[in-house]
Amino acid sequence: MLQTEEATLEKKLSELKPGEKGVIVSIQALTVHRRHRHRHSWGFQRRLEDMGLTPGTKVIVVKSAPFHGPIEIYVRGSRLAIGRGMAERILVSVEK
Amino acid sequence: MSLAGNANVGKSVIFNHLTGLHQHIGNWPGKTVEKAEGTLHFKGHTIDVIDLPGIYSLSTFSIEELISREYIAVENPDLVINVVDASVLERNLFFTLQLMELETPIVVALNQMDMAKKKGIRIDHEKLEKILGVPVVPTVATSRAGIYELMQTSVDVVEKGVGKPTKIRYGEEVETRIQKLSEMVSKLQLPYPARWAAIKLLEEDEHIEGRIRQLDLKIVSAAREFAEEIERIHGHSCSTVITSERYEIAGRIAREVQQIVRLRKVPMRERLHALTTHKILGYPVMVAVILSVFFAIFSFGDYTSQLLGTLFENFYSIYESVFGTGILATLIWGGIIEGLVAGITIALPYLIPFYLVLYFLEDSGYLSRIAFLMDSLMHKIGLHGKAFILMMLGYGCNVPACLGCRIMETERERFLATFVVTLVPCAATSVIILGLVGAYVGFQWALLLYVVDLLVIFVLGRIAFKVLRGEPTGLIMEMHDYRMPHLKTVVKQAWFRLKEFVIMAFPLIIAGSFIIKLVDVLGLLEPIADVLSPVTVVWLGLPTITGITLIFGVIRKELTLLMLSTLFGTTNFASVAGFGPVQMIVFTLVAMLYIPCISTIAALAKEQGWKRAFFVTFFEIAFAIFLGGIAYRILMLTGM
Repeated sequence: MLQTEEATLEKKLSELKPGEKGVIVSIQALTVHRRHRHRHSWGFQRRLEDMGLTPGTKVIVVKSAPFHGPIEIYVRGSRLAIGRGMAERILVSVEK
Repeated sequence: MSLAGNANVGKSVIFNHLTGLHQHIGNWPGKTVEKAEGTLHFKGHTIDVIDLPGIYSLSTFSIEELISREYIAVENPDLVINVVDASVLERNLFFTLQLMELETPIVVALNQMDMAKKKGIRIDHEKLEKILGVPVVPTVATSRAGIYELMQTSVDVVEKGVGKPTKIRYGEEVETRIQKLSEMVSKLQLPYPARWAAIKLLEEDEHIEGRIRQLDLKIVSAAREFAEEIERIHGHSCSTVITSERYEIAGRIAREVQQIVRLRKVPMRERLHALTTHKILGYPVMVAVILSVFFAIFSFGDYTSQLLGTLFENFYSIYESVFGTGILATLIWGGIIEGLVAGITIALPYLIPFYLVLYFLEDSGYLSRIAFLMDSLMHKIGLHGKAFILMMLGYGCNVPACLGCRIMETERERFLATFVVTLVPCAATSVIILGLVGAYVGFQWALLLYVVDLLVIFVLGRIAFKVLRGEPTGLIMEMHDYRMPHLKTVVKQAWFRLKEFVIMAFPLIIAGSFIIKLVDVLGLLEPIADVLSPVTVVWLGLPTITGITLIFGVIRKELTLLMLSTLFGTTNFASVAGFGPVQMIVFTLVAMLYIPCISTIAALAKEQGWKRAFFVTFFEIAFAIFLGGIAYRILMLTGM
């Protein structure tokens, strides 16, 4: 967990509790190396962005499925289910 | 003209209204993506309508998106009707904006206005029309409201044309670079609009980059440079910035045209959603729903197939009295007609209700909740929640389940899902499990076989997941609000799936029955059974004739049971010597796992190619025999 500004805290989307709100800061790619970007993380990040999970977007976590399952989020007026692995790569800032 | 829009916005309902019965469902050339075409007759006009796949974006992430994009950009339809879910306006407008960038004439069908109203959303469609610069027609497809207006507007647009849609302007840094690039691109001979191609270049779209690289390498490197500049300014990759700004615009428009009233009480569909995705209660609800669905379908199927069976038996006595029992007559009856009958008695009683219920559940929104609940378990075998729905489909029939594996995102996952699905006992296999083990050994043993099957799926799936290397795709899926399914569309969906099954499976079932009957008439069955006896008798401990029935099972699994009663000369299996409980269990276990039937093999080959289809087939035969032999020895040890 990183302290960025005084009033906010950066967390992974998967760490938010049901009912908590956050603003997306970034989506962490699988591999940072530019050459490999197309092969590995491209699709995954692109898909999330196409579904409206872009930096600056507000998200509300509604609930998470048991056994390390997906989480349900409310974003841009609609309800999405996102796998846990993906949620772990989405960084959000949360008001303290 | 064509229909485009997100998934689950009522696109197919509108398509049905527009085209009525003049429909044809096929595949896009060379692709396994469905293509629905139809004809609209309206006031003397005859218009071809194509229903494009439901997608969220026009990038090239999935085949569906690429197909839709190429179709709109290259084939240049006279008009694209963009079906928009009014209750999720922002997300849907994101797609509309991309369509507008492709510069085709658009009419927006603002659908599910009733749903929006129920959610307390009021939309000023005239204002939306003004902002977008394209005609907007409010519709409620399920009750046909607004469909006539939609047709009228569409015809008007095609005939008279409309004013240019509003140009979507991005932020300053992006916009200036788009303009510079599009000037460069406009000198090339491309089937796409220059501005759109410029945007795609900045988004580092591989497909467009590849095409332009062949024409002018400098443009691609200029685009790369621009993209890096934007990345430096914003701190995010250029495609992220563009997507983000596009969503911002969509959000701004949505906020401008809609008014949201807070609802006073929690509506029923929200409570239903909370219950069906509840971390504890969700599971018993799911099990109850699935079990009652299967129970209902099996009771109905059993009853109807017996009814049909009696009917055909009566028909046979008439046939026999007319044509006699000569070799040719037997061949035609046993080969062709029985094959046909076999197809009908499985398709009608089991598949029709199964498809109906399944599409009903899908359209209502429940299947996506099941995918949500089962996601973590499916991840253990390298798949995500949606694959569980395919497995459910497999319990009805493996053929549509194999074809359905197209919904998985990557090639690797499609193969993994197809493999897993062929291990699921279909309705025909359940007939053996329940009819033999369930009836003569005990219900708990039948249940045990289902559990063994699930274990096999889990273990083999896990091994396959480890063998086929690669990062599993995570689940990302919209869970749209619960709604009452549109019955006509459900029936139509079921009908098309049934047609697909009949076209694919019936010729194979008939040809297969014919060949086996021919072998029988030539007196070759018993020699073949003798050849197989080292496996059937020595390793599996079964009577010799079971070898014959297992061959018949290739056509349809439940034939193994039907053949068994013919060859034993009785339907009371308990009275047969040398075929006790142990043999029954081993026989059923082998029949359950040993091969995907001939129709499934064909479906596998269609989706995955013959090489993989044969691999899966031979692997499963070997595995079933291996497991059967082990089960035989264990069961003998327990002294049953």
